[in-house]
Amino acid sequence: MQEQSVRAARPRPRRISVFDGQDLKKAMSAGAEWLEAHKEAINALNVFPVPDGDTGSNMSATMQAAIRAIVDSSETSAGLIASKLAHGALLGARGNSGVILSQTLRGLAHGLDKKTTFTAAELANALQEAAILAYRAVLKPVEGTILTVVRDSAEAARLSAQRGDDLLGLMHEVVMAARQSVAHTPGLLPILKQAGVVDAGGQGFCTLLEGILRYIRGEAGVNIVPMSANGASAAADEPPVKKGRVTVEEEFGYEVVFLLRGNNLNVDEIRQHIIDMGGVSTVVAGDEKLLKVHTHALTPGKILDYGVSLGSLLDINIENLQEQSLAYAAESEAEHAAEAKAEQLSSAVVAVVSGKGFEKVFEGLGVNAIVPGGQSMNPSIEELLAAVEAAPSENVIILPNNGNVILSAQQVAGLTQKQIYVVPSETLPQGIAAMSRFNFEADFATNCDTMKGAVKDIQTAEITTAVRTVQIGGVRVREGDYIGLINGNLAVAGQDMEQVIQDTLQRMNMERYEIVTLYYGADIDETQAQATAQRMKERYPHLELQVVDGGQPYYAYILSAE
Amino acid sequence: MTIRILTDSTADIPADEAQAHGITIVPLTVFFGEEAYRDGVDLDNAGFYRKLQASKDLPRTSQPSPAQFQEQYQRLLAEGAEGILSIHLSSKLSGTYQSACTARDMLAETGNTIPIEVLDTLSISVGMSRAILRAADAAREGRSMQELKALVADELARTRILAVLDTLEFLKRGGRIGNAQALLGNMLSVKPIVSLRDGEVVRVEQPRTRSKAYARIAQLVGEMGKIEHISIAEASEDVGQQLAEAIKSVYSGELTFYKLGAVLGTHTGPGTAAVAAVIAL
Repeated sequence: MQEQSVRAARPRPRRISVFDGQDLKKAMSAGAEWLEAHKEAINALNVFPVPDGDTGSNMSATMQAAIRAIVDSSETSAGLIASKLAHGALLGARGNSGVILSQTLRGLAHGLDKKTTFTAAELANALQEAAILAYRAVLKPVEGTILTVVRDSAEAARLSAQRGDDLLGLMHEVVMAARQSVAHTPGLLPILKQAGVVDAGGQGFCTLLEGILRYIRGEAGVNIVPMSANGASAAADEPPVKKGRVTVEEEFGYEVVFLLRGNNLNVDEIRQHIIDMGGVSTVVAGDEKLLKVHTHALTPGKILDYGVSLGSLLDINIENLQEQSLAYAAESEAEHAAEAKAEQLSSAVVAVVSGKGFEKVFEGLGVNAIVPGGQSMNPSIEELLAAVEAAPSENVIILPNNGNVILSAQQVAGLTQKQIYVVPSETLPQGIAAMSRFNFEADFATNCDTMKGAVKDIQTAEITTAVRTVQIGGVRVREGDYIGLINGNLAVAGQDMEQVIQDTLQRMNMERYEIVTLYYGADIDETQAQATAQRMKERYPHLELQVVDGGQPYYAYILSAE
Repeated sequence: MTIRILTDSTADIPADEAQAHGITIVPLTVFFGEEAYRDGVDLDNAGFYRKLQASKDLPRTSQPSPAQFQEQYQRLLAEGAEGILSIHLSSKLSGTYQSACTARDMLAETGNTIPIEVLDTLSISVGMSRAILRAADAAREGRSMQELKALVADELARTRILAVLDTLEFLKRGGRIGNAQALLGNMLSVKPIVSLRDGEVVRVEQPRTRSKAYARIAQLVGEMGKIEHISIAEASEDVGQQLAEAIKSVYSGELTFYKLGAVLGTHTGPGTAAVAAVIAL
C-alpha cells in the first residue's frame, strides 16, 4: 500500500492494487491489535460449554504469537511474511479457536506462497485456501462457528475479486460478509440461540478482519471502542448491512419435490401460483399431463394441497433444509429442529413437589419435570399425565412424594403408552433420597429397583400445626398445637414448637444417623431456621447438618435423617 | 525398539515411570491468570492444589499446540522411530487429539512417510494410563503397530472409570459434563459420582456423603464381574485411601495409585478420587 493517507483521499480513495510483505505485516498487526482490544467482549460471548475455554483471549494470544514472528522483519515478500505469520501462530495456538485460526493463516500462507506482492484476486484465492484448511483442522466441522464465518468471508472475497474490486473494496466486502455470517450463527447452532449469543470464534475472526480493514482505510490505532456482549460493534460506524445479492437468505424451510399428473396443466400459471404462495427457487417443468415441481417453502403442506387440487401427486419428496441453511429468518424452524433432536433418555423422572426451594432441590438433582402439588393440593391425574407425556423418555418414573398422590400417579400407567413406575415416596425427603440414587447411566428396571429401595433409607420428620382436635395412637392433639410426624405418623404434640422438635428428634434416635437436612417452610425465616439447627447441633454434635430453604406451605419444618 | 509411544499429560503417568517405559509425554497447559504452567512439568499434583487454594484466579487449561506435537514427533523420528503411536485423552474433552492430528498431517505434507497413528481413547487419566503403559512395554518387545493398536483398543474396551467429586461446579464451569445440559445449581450438598460415556463425562449418582459415595462406587465395581486390575487416581492421598478401603470389600488384587495432574484438577476440583477397573476377559 502506498504511504499516502487513504482518509484524506476520500470520497474517491485511490485504488489499492497490490500489497507487499510490509503492507501485509502492518495490516495483520492492526488486525491483531483490534482483536486484542476486543478480547474481553469476545470472552463474554463464551457462555456455553466450549472445551479449552476463553475464545477471545485464546484467539488474541494466537494472533500475538503470529505477529511476534514478523514484528522485527523488514522482509518485503508477502509470501515470506505470510509464512512466518503462520509459523508463529502455529507455535502459539491456544485453544480450539486458536488452532483453527492458525490453520487459516497457514492456508493464507499456502495461497501467497512465493508471491512478493499480491492483488485482490490473489488474496481471494488465498482466503479460499484458508477456508479449506480451517475445515480440515477439525474432526467434525460444525456450522454456525468460526468455520462458517471463514468460509462466508472467503466466498465474499471471491465474488468481490470477480467484480474487479481493489484490496480496499474486497476487504470491505469481506468484513460485511463476516459480520452477516456472525449474526447468522445462532440460526445455525441451537445452543447459541439458547444462550442468546453469537459464536465467539466467528466474532473473533470477524474482529480480526475489521482491524485489517481499518488499517487499509487508514483508521487503525484510533477510536478503539469496545464491543457490546451481543457481538454488535458498539462503534456502530457501520451497521451490518444486508446485501441483496446474497442468495443464502433463501435457503430455508423445506425442499418440496413432486410429480404432478393431471389434465390441462398450465406450467407458467402453476409456477407463478407457487411463487405467490411463498415458494422460493421454484422450478416447474413438464407438459400439460405430467410435470415436475421443485420449490423451497416454509409450509410444504400448502404446496402439496395446491398440487392435489390440480391432479394426483407422485414421488413426493420433502427435505428439511435447516441443516444446510444459512438463513437467520427461519427461527421457528430451528427451534423445531432442536426439539426434535432433544435427547431421548433411557428413563425420565417426574416429581410432585410443593415449595419453591424443594422445586430447586429436585431440579438440581436432575428430575425432568415438576408437577406442583402436595399436601391439600394434590395434582390431578391429567396434570401428571401431561408431565409424563412431555418427559423425554418412553420410560417414566414418578415421585409422588405424598401418600395422597401415590394412587393418582398409579392411574397414569393406564392412560399412556409409556412405561410408568411409581416410586412409593410418601414424603419429599423420601423423593429426594430416591432421586439421589437415580443412576443416569443405568436402565429403567435397575433404577426402579434402587429408587424403591432408597425410600426406606431415609427418615422423615415433619413439624406442622394441628387443624383440629384429635387423638391418634395415644397422642392427644388440640387444634392449634404443634405436631411432629415421623414418616407420616403422628408422634408428638405440644404448644411449644422447639419442644415438639426436640421430642420428635428424640423419638427418631438421631444417634444412628450421620447427615440431617432441615428444610424450613415458607412461614419460617432463615435466622429462625439457623437457630433451630444450632440447637440440634448442640444436642447431637456428631451430625452433619444442612439447612435448606424448602419454601413449603403448612409445614414449618421438614427434616430428613440418613 | 521400533515403534515409539507418545501420550499427553492427562494420562497422569509420572515422569519417571514414563521414562522407564520409554513413553514421551506432551504436556497440556494450565493457566492461573496469565501465568502458564506445563502440566506435570512446571506444576505437579501438590503444587497445583496449593495454588488452587492460594490463587484468586480460577485455573484454565489449553491443549498442546500442533507445533509441540510436531517437535516431539520429529525428535522421535530423528531417533530412528519406525512408527509413532500417539495416544490421547477423549477428543470430546479437549482439542489435544485434534492438535496431534494436525501435527501428523503437517509432517505428512513435508514429506514424512513414517507412520504416525493418533488414537482418541475417549477416556482420560487412569482410564487410559494402563493401556498406554502396556503398549509401551509391547512396543519395546518389537510388536507391530497393528498389534499395539489392537492391544490398546482391547484394554480400553475393558476399562470402566468412576469418580467421586466434591462438587460438579468445576466440570460445569469448564463445560465438560455431558448428560447434564440443564444442570442447575444444587441446593443440597451432594458428592456426585461421575463416569465416562462415549468420551464424555456423565453424572451417575448423587449420594449425600463421601462415605456413601465410596460404598456405592465399590458396589458398582462389584457388579462389573471379574476384575483384572484396578488403578486409583487421587487429588490427595486421603481421598485415594478412603476409596481404596471401600474397593477392598469387592476386590483383593493389586491396586495402583496415581496422582491427578493439574489439568484434571482444573476440571474436577479438590477432593476427587477416581477408580479405573479393567474387567477380566
